[in-house]
Amino acid sequence: MKYSKTDRYPVCKSSELVDDTMMKVSIDMVDILVGRRNGKLFACDNSCPHKGASLSKGCFNGDRVVCYMHGYEYNVFTGKLENMKSWKKEDTWVEQDMEWRKSGDLILYSVSEEDGTVYVALK
Amino acid sequence: MTKGEVPNVVGLEVLKKNGVNVEKLKELITKGVGAEFTTYYYYTILRMHCTGLEGEGIKEIVEDARIEDRNHFEAMVPRLYELGGNLPKDIRKFADQAGCPDAYLPDNWEDINSILKVLLEAEQCAIRSWGEVCDMTAGKDHRTYDIAQKIMQEEIEHEAWFIELISKRPSGHFRRKFVGQSPHTGSQGGLIHL
Repeated sequence: MKYSKTDRYPVCKSSELVDDTMMKVSIDMVDILVGRRNGKLFACDNSCPHKGASLSKGCFNGDRVVCYMHGYEYNVFTGKLENMKSWKKEDTWVEQDMEWRKSGDLILYSVSEEDGTVYVALK
Repeated sequence: MTKGEVPNVVGLEVLKKNGVNVEKLKELITKGVGAEFTTYYYYTILRMHCTGLEGEGIKEIVEDARIEDRNHFEAMVPRLYELGGNLPKDIRKFADQAGCPDAYLPDNWEDINSILKVLLEAEQCAIRSWGEVCDMTAGKDHRTYDIAQKIMQEEIEHEAWFIELISKRPSGHFRRKFVGQSPHTGSQGGLIHL
């Protein structure tokens, strides 16, 4: 089946996505993180914009998803990188080069809910 | 067939039919081998600073991890090219895109525990990095999975070594038969330090 970027696709039942949870779903080999935070739905690419880790393995911090790989935090509603965690665990550690540290923002997808089903569109 | 034209690659065709996002997989592998290569470089510096009574005691174990991380690079890079990927032409770009931070020598390197903590951090990042590749390929891309899980096994052993050295928890580990033995990835033909 070929997916259109303009169409929306059912990804899960509303009951599977209780508040403050997130899960990975796939549309046309694109892994998507879909979740509900404080009652509000969100959907974004599951790949961390920093180094490609699966964001579904992360956790929430406020409206941010925390990547389990390097601790970067992205707002799940705006997509913006809001916390570029330092690598330094001790004062004597040398900070990483900015080229390695830099990251883009999350790729957000359109998400909606209707008749007990959650839909995502790849646009 | 003209020069440079690549015929249908069945090894790729089956991956796509199995639902593997090959572009994403190549990206993750490039980041993973980038981390192995930079780690090999930085471990060289860390090893050089394992001096004194305590430092000399861990120098050989750091050397095992150093050489085995290079073996991981050697084991996985051929697979990257089989998948149609390639290493960045510029090593600066290669290092910047690596999946794990540079294992810099800490300012207080005379304290051997500070070096051990950096080593542990590097190994733990590598476990997460190869875990991503294993998760993406399990049951779908048997060849990549086979190599990645072997690398994972050695990274987990490295983590155990450094945790044991830091925490003094009981250890099942003794020593490699020779430096950088790579008991798991050695079969990939990447051993160049015999």
